[in-house]
Amino acid sequence: MREKLNVLHIALLLFMIESDVAVFILPRLTAANFGTNGWLGFIALSLVAAFNIFMYRIVYRMGGGRSVFDIAEAAAPRAVLYPFYAALALLWLGLGAFIGKTYVLIFQMLSFQNSQPMLIYVLYCVLVLTLLTKSLYSIAKASTVFFFMASWLVLLLPYFFKSWSAVRFTTSFFQGAVEGHHLGGFLEVFAAFIGYELCMFLFPHTDAKSKLFTGVFVGHFLFTAVNLLAMVMCFGFFSFEEIKRLEFPIIYMHEFVELSFLNRVDSLVYPFFSFYSLISTVMFGYAALKSIGRMLPKVSDRRLALPVTGAIFLLGFIPSIFREAGTWLKLVFTIETGVAFGMPLILIVMLKLGKKAKGA
Amino acid sequence: MSRLGGSINANQAGDQPADAKPTASLVLQELTDCLDAVHQCLEGNGGEIVYIATLVDTSLLLRDLIRPLTGAEPSELRTKLGAAPYRLTKDMNSCLSGITNGAVAIFAGEDAYLLDLSKKIGRTIEQTETETLITGPHDGFVESLDENLGVIRRRLRSAKLKSVGFEAGEISKTQIVMLYIEGIVNMEFVTLLSERIRSIEIDGVSDSNMLVQLIDENPNSVFPQYLTTERPDAVVSKLLGGRIAVLMDGSPSAFISPTSFLEFFASPDDYYQRWPIGTGLRVLRLIGFIITICFTAFYVSVTTFHYELIPHTMLLNLAESRSKVPFPPLIEALLMETTIELLREAGARLPTKIGQTIGIVGGIVIGQAAVQAGFTSNILIIAVATSAIASFVIPSYIMSASIRLIRFGLIVLAGLLGNLGLFMGIGLMVIHMAGITNLGTSYLSPIAPMRPSDLLDTLIRGPFWALKTRPTLSRSPNQVRTRPKQ
Repeated sequence: MREKLNVLHIALLLFMIESDVAVFILPRLTAANFGTNGWLGFIALSLVAAFNIFMYRIVYRMGGGRSVFDIAEAAAPRAVLYPFYAALALLWLGLGAFIGKTYVLIFQMLSFQNSQPMLIYVLYCVLVLTLLTKSLYSIAKASTVFFFMASWLVLLLPYFFKSWSAVRFTTSFFQGAVEGHHLGGFLEVFAAFIGYELCMFLFPHTDAKSKLFTGVFVGHFLFTAVNLLAMVMCFGFFSFEEIKRLEFPIIYMHEFVELSFLNRVDSLVYPFFSFYSLISTVMFGYAALKSIGRMLPKVSDRRLALPVTGAIFLLGFIPSIFREAGTWLKLVFTIETGVAFGMPLILIVMLKLGKKAKGA
Repeated sequence: MSRLGGSINANQAGDQPADAKPTASLVLQELTDCLDAVHQCLEGNGGEIVYIATLVDTSLLLRDLIRPLTGAEPSELRTKLGAAPYRLTKDMNSCLSGITNGAVAIFAGEDAYLLDLSKKIGRTIEQTETETLITGPHDGFVESLDENLGVIRRRLRSAKLKSVGFEAGEISKTQIVMLYIEGIVNMEFVTLLSERIRSIEIDGVSDSNMLVQLIDENPNSVFPQYLTTERPDAVVSKLLGGRIAVLMDGSPSAFISPTSFLEFFASPDDYYQRWPIGTGLRVLRLIGFIITICFTAFYVSVTTFHYELIPHTMLLNLAESRSKVPFPPLIEALLMETTIELLREAGARLPTKIGQTIGIVGGIVIGQAAVQAGFTSNILIIAVATSAIASFVIPSYIMSASIRLIRFGLIVLAGLLGNLGLFMGIGLMVIHMAGITNLGTSYLSPIAPMRPSDLLDTLIRGPFWALKTRPTLSRSPNQVRTRPKQ
């Protein structure tokens, strides 16, 4: 009676994977890298990501829903593939760890200046471990509940209307980028979408009824829409110059909320984002776990969960302050962007090779 | 069933082989040191009877057995015993099983017969004390399996209502009956649950709430996974929804499966009210759930780490209220929560006549005196009391107790990490629930997996015209519940 993932699960899971610490700084990144009305550039990058997702769809169709490991191993010997598996596992462990640690460091900066961030990170890793010991279906179920738990934040939007002004959008487009327009800047913004490539790990958990790629596209465009809304609010709330200078515009915007029974809801809102970072870390951890599991077929996923979480915890020691975490995150996001685009191309070639080998 | 080793003697026949031919002497040997075991001889024919006096209706014994058989010739005795209601028993195991179930064993010549003359022991149908209602039926289950089965049969007068019997407990031999409606239930669930009940290996089972712990998929979870109820109307409603209900002899609770977390917040009352009222009550209970787990923890979080969340006007009151308290908010809250739990537990254990004492003493401990003594702040008392009240709106006592326990964990996390700790605690709870299954179905249904049609009868109580299908959770082969009017 095992259930397969359905389209809504997939959409919400993908939304949760794409949402991570990058969303706090997204308005600043778009303003700094695209300039005025930078949110339009965000739409363009979303379409680029959608094209990349389409490439994964081609792989899914060509491979008949087979797992990416099966596709690769049908075309190349395992001995050749194992070093790649190991490198990818390390990259994904790093991504999971740095996303989590950055979240913890931001929280420490906002509310716990005197606390040791690794103590908070331990608790974060406990949550990661409890999810990694469960099946992907359970992870999807938890992420669905987390999504609905955090969805009430949208209700705060009307509060910003009174300080929001369309005048702040200006009539000029893409002017005033900090270092002009360059690929590095675009990649920095594109990092916000990173996570969609993990849809390749959902292949074995879906069937025709699941409508995998409908879910992936819905999740991706939902993420685009929600962040676009947040950016439009930010661009109309703060001036362009302010956005370029504010470290976390989304969090600072919440500091202005004053209800009759609650003030400065930022410290109440920020913990809700822990669920977004958590699912991102867990899914990158899951990807690493699957890659390591492929190299160690006799070890069950459940047994691997502890060492994988341990690695995520240990990698968390690398960045000790927010600036360092940001640098590491930028590095791993850039590499992952390369992987996200390269992977479907390599898999398509491997599928062709696999077919040839079968034909011969 | 007799796979247990060691101290448990699974065989009713004790030292005798289970298939040995039953004789009065062998049976009496097995019943040695049983004060209530009676052995009598029938006059004029050499017949003997053995029974347990405390289980047998003595007036029936006199009327249906002793009077008709006394003085009968041996051949006449055999003829009478060969017809109904007497039944021949051929082995020691079934003979002893019959006697321990309230039958009288009659030994005539080499043969043994049983006549069921068991008397009704225990309460007759009466109102349940744990699940009271204002409107709707007031009858509740009692400890007698037959009575409980009867009240369900009276409500579902259909041959499609099937009752399958089981036995659990190597020594207690407790009767269990599984109920389902053929054509509506998913038979895979019936098979799965039957296997689970059959696989129980224990000396005895005292209550349905104990039985469910022996068959659930997550025995270490704090959450109840089978919905237990003492209300026949709730059982009938679930049976019609394609679920399975299980009754146990000696227990006034039935359990229902498959079920999900949100169903523990529904009460039969919701269906007897107009649907907007029923919906309001359901939402109120869910708010009660959130208050129970979060309110005190949020107080601890705010007063320890997040004073900025409190508006200026409230902050002054809060600071003044806290100024005399020597403990940090975490200790203060844990003390008060423990006190209120002590009060609740004492109230549950004390006889009703002296139960009022607890109310008076409780008023002192959780009241102005505690504040004046500098033991706690006014606001915490309000938080703790509100949490306690909120926990009592949850219809399932078992679920309410689970949630109250979780509250302590959240208070500690909030005391250590403020709002983040509180949310991480909630996250842990959600992750744990995401892993729970009941007969393979999701505990978080209909939220995860999302079933919008089922939300109409879980988060809210939709109008009857909208509740056209059975819950998806039941995976019923017959989904349609009502047909639209032509």
